[in-house]
Amino acid sequence: MKKTSIIALILIALAIGAIASMYGDASTYENFEVAQDHPGKEYHVVGVLNREKEKYYDPQKDANYFSFYMVDEKGKESKVVYHNPQPADFERSEKIVIVGRMEGDHFEASKILLKCPSKYNETEVKT
Amino acid sequence: MNSVTFIGEHLFWGNLGHTAVVVSFISSIMACLSYFFAERNPLDQSWTKIAKYSFHLHSLAVLTIIASLFKIIYSHYFEYHYAWQHSSTDLPVHFMISCFWEGQEGSFLLWIFWQMVIGQILLRTAKNWLNPVMAVIMLSQIALTSMLLGVKIFSYKLGSSPFELLRNVMANAPIFKTADYLSKVKDGNGLNPLLQNYWMVIHPPTLFFGFATTVVPFAYAIASLWRKDFKEWLKPALPWALISVMVLGAGIIMGGFWAYESLSFGGYWAWDPVENASLVPWLILIAGVHVMIIHKSTGSSYIVALGLIIATFLLVLYATFLTRSGILGNSSVHSFTDLGMSGQLLVFLLVFVLLAIVLIAMRWKLMPRSAKDEEIYTREFWMFIGSLVLVISAFQVILTTSIPVFNKLFSANLAPPADVIGHYNKWQMPMAIIIGVLTAVANLLKYKKNTNEALKKMGLYALISLVITVVLYYAFGLKNYFYLGLLFAGVYGITTNLILLIPFLKGKIKLAGASVAHIGFGILLIGVLVSSANKQVISINESGTALNPEFNNKENVENIYLERGKPNKMGDYIITYVKDSVQWVNTYYQVNYKKLNKDGEVDYEFNLYPNGQINPKFGLVANPDTKHYWGHDVFTYVSSVPSGKAESKYINEKTHMVAPGDTIYTNNGYAILQGINTNTDANNIDMKNFQVLLGAELKVYTLDKVYDAMPLYGVKDNSATSYEALVEEAKLKFRFVEVNPETKKITIITSEKDTSGDFIIMKAIVFPMINFVWAGTIIMIIGFFLSILKRIKELKTSF
Repeated sequence: MKKTSIIALILIALAIGAIASMYGDASTYENFEVAQDHPGKEYHVVGVLNREKEKYYDPQKDANYFSFYMVDEKGKESKVVYHNPQPADFERSEKIVIVGRMEGDHFEASKILLKCPSKYNETEVKT
Repeated sequence: MNSVTFIGEHLFWGNLGHTAVVVSFISSIMACLSYFFAERNPLDQSWTKIAKYSFHLHSLAVLTIIASLFKIIYSHYFEYHYAWQHSSTDLPVHFMISCFWEGQEGSFLLWIFWQMVIGQILLRTAKNWLNPVMAVIMLSQIALTSMLLGVKIFSYKLGSSPFELLRNVMANAPIFKTADYLSKVKDGNGLNPLLQNYWMVIHPPTLFFGFATTVVPFAYAIASLWRKDFKEWLKPALPWALISVMVLGAGIIMGGFWAYESLSFGGYWAWDPVENASLVPWLILIAGVHVMIIHKSTGSSYIVALGLIIATFLLVLYATFLTRSGILGNSSVHSFTDLGMSGQLLVFLLVFVLLAIVLIAMRWKLMPRSAKDEEIYTREFWMFIGSLVLVISAFQVILTTSIPVFNKLFSANLAPPADVIGHYNKWQMPMAIIIGVLTAVANLLKYKKNTNEALKKMGLYALISLVITVVLYYAFGLKNYFYLGLLFAGVYGITTNLILLIPFLKGKIKLAGASVAHIGFGILLIGVLVSSANKQVISINESGTALNPEFNNKENVENIYLERGKPNKMGDYIITYVKDSVQWVNTYYQVNYKKLNKDGEVDYEFNLYPNGQINPKFGLVANPDTKHYWGHDVFTYVSSVPSGKAESKYINEKTHMVAPGDTIYTNNGYAILQGINTNTDANNIDMKNFQVLLGAELKVYTLDKVYDAMPLYGVKDNSATSYEALVEEAKLKFRFVEVNPETKKITIITSEKDTSGDFIIMKAIVFPMINFVWAGTIIMIIGFFLSILKRIKELKTSF
């Protein structure tokens, strides 16, 4: 076999490996129900903040504990705990994407992404 | 249409700018076609002339667009949507320049500008390659200027004009029913606070210059196919490709430095899709440059060199599509907002993909290829392998970055990996090891034929490097054998290339670009390894008390609560939040660091001033502050601050009966009563009316300072009055309330400032050896620069 063919084969194998690893490592967008059925597995959950319920952050007690209630796209609600300070702009969020896993009664978020009303496309002219 | 005549608008500049956009679009079409026909009819000089004048007209038009847009931003003409959206009256001039490219239209304009400048340079230097190369560049210029057109063709809006009026963009807003609406639009939306940073003034122009330069080697590659000239295109294309490598590399690292200096994610690289999108073309281009050099030295690998150079530009277009079409959506923090141009961007990409594919297919049979098998024991073989490793590395990055695209194509619901860094590292680390080792091995070999000498050197240098590596491994305190491999790769690359550099040191350093660049890469590798492997979050509460019932020692407990004035132990440091001060829109929080040595004594101290801006639109926008030492950085930012400023309230009153010499203890420090003064000279009190006026002379000791305080006690018309003494910095208040002649003691009431609402939550990270990252990159860029000089010289001597 020519060396070029060997190299080409290795290249193809690596490319397939990269694709497989992307699929393997990729998380998926799911809801709380799925997360609950697979505790310990990390998911992205999209939802909105439940403004009726208490949002807890008391930095004097613990600067690294923030909890709130989120309703996912299927309407299921869960408590979410985030071991970090409350993200800036949290109140204004329209949509929240949380990354993490279900742990008992709550969802343990390792990352919170906020979708805020667009920062650029203001639709009102302030006077 | 309403018939209101609006008052106070400056329509001239918008009309001028818009006209210039249309002129630049049409003149680029003219120039492109003329260059095309000039190439087809080499005997007819008139096409070249028309092309040249069209291009000059185009250049003039581009400059006019820029001048008009800048005039609009600079003069705060908020009747224009772009100025209203991206700027405000309080911005200093250098940030107005950033406003210019904050929006999509402005950044396209930047790209257009650079491509125009490049065209002007080629006009003077490209000689016999001018026509086909310029035809390709003008084709790209047509696509770019079309993005600024903002005209409706049937129902499709082509491009987005930066000269659109506010009242047209928001046609339904009631404010535009009044003729003098402008008198009510007093200010614009302002610049995104994250971009209010001097790096944002120079990073985008550099990056876009880098993007713009990738079109040149691409154009030469297309021209090579077009002319069926498979050899000569390399010489002029190589220096351009190297310029591209250098500028794009500089642009990417500036982005990293900006992120490190002014963003609070804590690092210079986050594997964000937008960062990846600029990294991938760069990696492919570097691979391309290496294969071009192989082709130049041995005549083989034409197809791969051509393919990589073409792929670089197509990947730049793909990156543009990713970051500007809105497809990244939730997965990136800093992509542009969707302007509804995704269709147009896709057409731009596909036109060039098709052009490349069709031309390659047409010339496939003519392309030179070598029939014999590759020789393993040569430089070209290992250079080629190294380039392929770069390609794999780039492929892996672009694959994961493209997850949102796959979701669109196959309607899947994949999300980026939860552990993004782990995902990329497991691929990129082995790749980096191979590349590091190859920078040593390949450079020791010669092209085509080698003796055993090279092999001996390889082994010897590897042995030396291994010893150095083991020493460094323990010196840095690394704890993972994978890191041993990475460290070795870096050290081997540096050592070998340093030895290879020696013969060039006597006046021939210009020829040693490759060695210098490879040394830079080795240093960068070590810097990345040590700064991320030994990165240490030090802002961890060490008070030992679990403060929250639900607190369960999570690993990500990385933020510390600092009450103003209260020292806190954090790692080897005693940190104190001293005070805050306001400058422009930012609040700076002074944080004092005292470094302790092994015996617990203060070694040295410094202050950091991380700042935060409570932005009405963005919430808390925090900028870090970093103390740089040669061997490590201490990086600090505030992650949360109290929402309202606390009222100054004094609480915790305590009564003390003291005689001179006694000590008063408080939570904030202690005070010693020096004596009781009967001849007080308090200026602000009318002393004459007092029968008695006494002052308690106090020396107040806090942790690091001593203050004087004198509360007063007076008796007037048989009633006592107290005047309190306030020691603001110590946050103590003293009140002298009573004199007891029998015990010869006086009564002092102390109170302490209520600091419960005056705190910051901050995070601090120590990055060791991060200067290696910057130094490595700078050395690499110097290496690229030397290589450019060398290749330009070769180009000149070959004519």
